[in-house]
Amino acid sequence: MPVNTSHETFPSPPSQLRKSHPTDVVLWLLRLRRRFRIVGESMQPLLVAGTEVLINPFAYRRSQPLSGDLVVAYHPHQPGLRLIKWVVYVEAQGCFLKGLNAPASTDSREFGLVPWESIVGQVVCRFP
Amino acid sequence: MLNYAIAKLQAWFPAAEVHAHCDGPCGVYDPSSARIAAEAVVSMTKKLADLEMPAAGDKAAAVAYHNTFARYTAIKEEQAQIAKDELLVLWTDYFKPVHLEQFPDLHDTFWKAAKLCSATKVEVSVQHANELMEAVHKIHNMFWATKNRDVSWYTAS
Repeated sequence: MPVNTSHETFPSPPSQLRKSHPTDVVLWLLRLRRRFRIVGESMQPLLVAGTEVLINPFAYRRSQPLSGDLVVAYHPHQPGLRLIKWVVYVEAQGCFLKGLNAPASTDSREFGLVPWESIVGQVVCRFP
Repeated sequence: MLNYAIAKLQAWFPAAEVHAHCDGPCGVYDPSSARIAAEAVVSMTKKLADLEMPAAGDKAAAVAYHNTFARYTAIKEEQAQIAKDELLVLWTDYFKPVHLEQFPDLHDTFWKAAKLCSATKVEVSVQHANELMEAVHKIHNMFWATKNRDVSWYTAS
């Protein structure tokens, strides 16, 4: 799981993402997880293009994302374009998202905070 | 067994895509398009500077001269604008704040290169055209350095 740090501490990017357990597969079959395939280089070296991940779309129903979480979110200015990024920090208006491979990433450094309603869910594991 | 079943499911039901790249898919940026346009500017500028005046009273030669002059000028104008557009895309879309740390003169380099594009449109200056090529060469080096790739500089002409 990504390492979560509080907003007050220096945010550290996630350095690992576990493989899926049978439970994750069951949750996916029950439609409690969503599956995505990564396109692009901005999450290297952790996630290379072609990797599949499972996300929990219900993760942030009762709690906010934490710094260090990996998330899938809609691009604030390009409707329908889903991005995978990590949460650097959280503010009242939304999350500041960034790619792990900063030079090859378009993220909150350009489009600003991503509002809550644009967060699709938390990345929980690779698939499989 | 479970992995086999998952592999089958993955093949049968492709996952939705989630993007981990820039506005344009990564890798589409390349300073070579600016280089080609800048080379055309240099070429047209030199041809304009070398164009011989027609002999006085030779109407056919005068028509040919003005036609050629106009064509060279039009191409110079067009290619200088293309070079400017290509540079601006690199500057505003590809380069990120992290690159500014690596190249503190990045903004100044692009600003001057864009100014040289304008100067080569306004003038017929071989010196400014060559300076534009030098600026594009510098940007070529910066660009590939950010990708940790050793891409040698070359020109078509």
